[in-house]
Amino acid sequence: MKPAAYIVDDDEAIRDALTWLFRSRHVESRAWPSAEAFLADWRDDLRGCLVLDVRMGGMSGLQLFDLLCERGARLPVIFLSGHGDIPLAVAAVKKGAYDFVEKPFNDNELVDRVISAMGVDAAHQERRAGQASLASRLTQLTPREREVMDRILAGKYNKVIADELNIAMRTVEVHRARIFEKMGVKSAVELAQLLSGKH
Amino acid sequence: METTVPRLPKLQPWYWTVPRIAVGLFVLAVISLLWLLHRQEVEEQRASLIGDTLWVEQNLHFNLSRSQEQLQQLGQDFFGAERANGSFDARIRSYLLNNPGIVHVQALDADGLPVRRDPGVVGNAAQGENPRTESVYQAFRLSRSTGLPTFSAGHESGGEWFFALVVPHFRDGRHAGSLVAAYSFRKLLADQVPWWFAQKYRLSVVDANGLALGSKSNIEAGEETLRHRIPFDPPGHGLVLVATAYQSETSLPRNLLTLAIVALGAGVLASLWAQRRHMQKRLDAEQALSKEYAFRKAMEDSLFTGLRARDLEGRIIYVNPAFCRMTGFDAAELLNRLPPMPYWAPEEREATQAAHRRSLAGQSPSEGVELRFQRKNGERFDALIYEAPLIDAEGRHAGWMGSVVDITERKRAEELARQQQEKLQFTARLVTMGEMASTLAHEINQPLSAISSYTTGCMNRLEAGDLPRDELRETLGKLASQAQRAGRVIRRIYDFVRRSEPQRAPCDVNAVVEDAVGLIEGDARKRGVRIVLALAEKLPTVRADSVMLEQVLLNLMRNGIDAMQAMQPAERQLIVRTAAVEDGVEIDVADCGAGIAAEAAARLFEPFFSTKPEGMGMGLNICRSIVESHKGRMWVEANPAGGSVFRFTLPGG
Repeated sequence: MKPAAYIVDDDEAIRDALTWLFRSRHVESRAWPSAEAFLADWRDDLRGCLVLDVRMGGMSGLQLFDLLCERGARLPVIFLSGHGDIPLAVAAVKKGAYDFVEKPFNDNELVDRVISAMGVDAAHQERRAGQASLASRLTQLTPREREVMDRILAGKYNKVIADELNIAMRTVEVHRARIFEKMGVKSAVELAQLLSGKH
Repeated sequence: METTVPRLPKLQPWYWTVPRIAVGLFVLAVISLLWLLHRQEVEEQRASLIGDTLWVEQNLHFNLSRSQEQLQQLGQDFFGAERANGSFDARIRSYLLNNPGIVHVQALDADGLPVRRDPGVVGNAAQGENPRTESVYQAFRLSRSTGLPTFSAGHESGGEWFFALVVPHFRDGRHAGSLVAAYSFRKLLADQVPWWFAQKYRLSVVDANGLALGSKSNIEAGEETLRHRIPFDPPGHGLVLVATAYQSETSLPRNLLTLAIVALGAGVLASLWAQRRHMQKRLDAEQALSKEYAFRKAMEDSLFTGLRARDLEGRIIYVNPAFCRMTGFDAAELLNRLPPMPYWAPEEREATQAAHRRSLAGQSPSEGVELRFQRKNGERFDALIYEAPLIDAEGRHAGWMGSVVDITERKRAEELARQQQEKLQFTARLVTMGEMASTLAHEINQPLSAISSYTTGCMNRLEAGDLPRDELRETLGKLASQAQRAGRVIRRIYDFVRRSEPQRAPCDVNAVVEDAVGLIEGDARKRGVRIVLALAEKLPTVRADSVMLEQVLLNLMRNGIDAMQAMQPAERQLIVRTAAVEDGVEIDVADCGAGIAAEAAARLFEPFFSTKPEGMGMGLNICRSIVESHKGRMWVEANPAGGSVFRFTLPGG
């Protein structure tokens, strides 16, 4: 699914104007007139950024934010706050919202924020995807290969590894070649870089 | 009122002992006196008994001597010449008549034999008596031998006792014979003892053996008191005269006196006892009274309500300790004071005086009067006073009794509650205003945000050079409608404000001022401010909204009252003046506060400017708006007497 700016505001003019604005900066956007309508369409794999009005009829923007947090959504949220709602918006930022802008806002600045939020979301997404592939590659290793890999990562020579595991030097070399092949790396240094965030 | 409880004098033990001793001594003295009198009387009686007895004895003695002499004479004659002289008997008879004690006379010869029968024995009692009675015979012999007249001892004959006098006669030295006169004791005594003696005493002749030989008395034998004995000689022979005094009938005066004394003594004792009982009762009553008094005093002293009584002229005649505590004055400083009282607050003097006059006229309201008094240290306090007529023990109306309750704390609490309420209302107003402002801001923000977003979008695309005319037109249309939307919001506000336009009608400014003063007067009094009205007599009618005008006046007066809170209570005076000016009416509200600082004066009418911690800063601004909406003018000046004068004009019309 393509990343987009998801606008939730009960004022039709605002929705329309924001859509117009995002389009002028080539940002994909979709709009919902209420939090309830958005929730009905919400899916876990929505990518991009949520632009939420704090004050709305029905469920407020803050309530929607809390609900999404509970559901484990990682979509960055930018609040649009009115004059009296700033303390609410600040509280929301402390709870993990990406940012807030005060109405009336500087429109291009808002778009910049939205774009940066979308970037952050994309980065998150990429890291999550990388982590998922690493985990699947690790599962392909045999127990013996895991033992050998741990020792390679500890910086030990093949001879030391062979002595420790009580196997022939030649066998260690075979394991090493297999591990590099399965993990898709060409050297011990690359392997260490790949796994630095793990374990 | 500080009066000590009267203490009863304690009855000392001697209090009753002394009169008792005195009465005892008195009775003793009276008894002694009576006894002494009695003694003296007895002595006198004894003396008179002795005297009387002696006198009787003398009388008897004299009588016997005389009769002896006569007998001697008779004997001389008888034994002389003419022995049988017939006249002799007659002499004997005469002799017997003169001596009634003699029963008979007998002549004996020398041998003691009767000379003859007649006239040997003359008299009747001794008829047939034996002259030779032993005792007579002894006397005869004794007289014969001595030659002297001799008395015989007593002898009895026929139940009666006699004695005899034997007188011997000698002729030529020879005993010729003797004349014997026989005396009856009874008769002798009857003859010789006078009646007055017999009236008082019994006189008896007693022989040596104690045998009574004869006696005389006119009184019946009673209890004997005194007895006197003298020898009865002659006749001698151990005879004794015994005079016995019997208790005579006691003298009536003396008895009466004694009785009277006894009765008086008893009376004294009885009255003493009655006195004592009376005293005891009195004492009990006094004790009960003092206990009751002490109880009442304790009740009165423990009261928190001040009590003060005034007589009909308004003079203080009583105050209780609670009143003294309340005012801080001593009872001595208040008693007998006439108004003005020292606890009257000078600034409230007229009101207090009026209340005082009303209460003396009996027109004090039954729900009480609220007055502000001052304590001795100058502190003010609010008192609630109830007056009631004071009726004395005789049912006369003697004055007025007032109970005074210090309600300062209560009023303070009320004031606090009122302030709290005001604060709350103020806060509520603020909240409402805040919400309204927030709503308005939101409503205007929405279209403005939309406009801004459309515009920015258009600019972005114009810069990029890819804005088709159709899209631009469409967006501009949207922009215009959002601008109109913002305009509608503004118009709604304006419409809302326009709805509170003044409702002008011809009105009397003085009446509006009086109404406004009436509304704020209670509050002003609470805060110690006097409002003085100086209203012009003839004012042109003004076309104005009287409710709004009243609001302006209330606002200005409230500001004035606030400005004077730091002043002394006597100086807190707010003057409201109206005057006719050439093109309408001018109204002043002058306070005597600290005045307005120069930098504050410049901003005074600006909205949201306030010198008060809770002020919204809208009051004066609104006032000026209202005045200006009436085509008037409003400004502030410094009060020459200190403080500020807010002044505004309204055009006539």
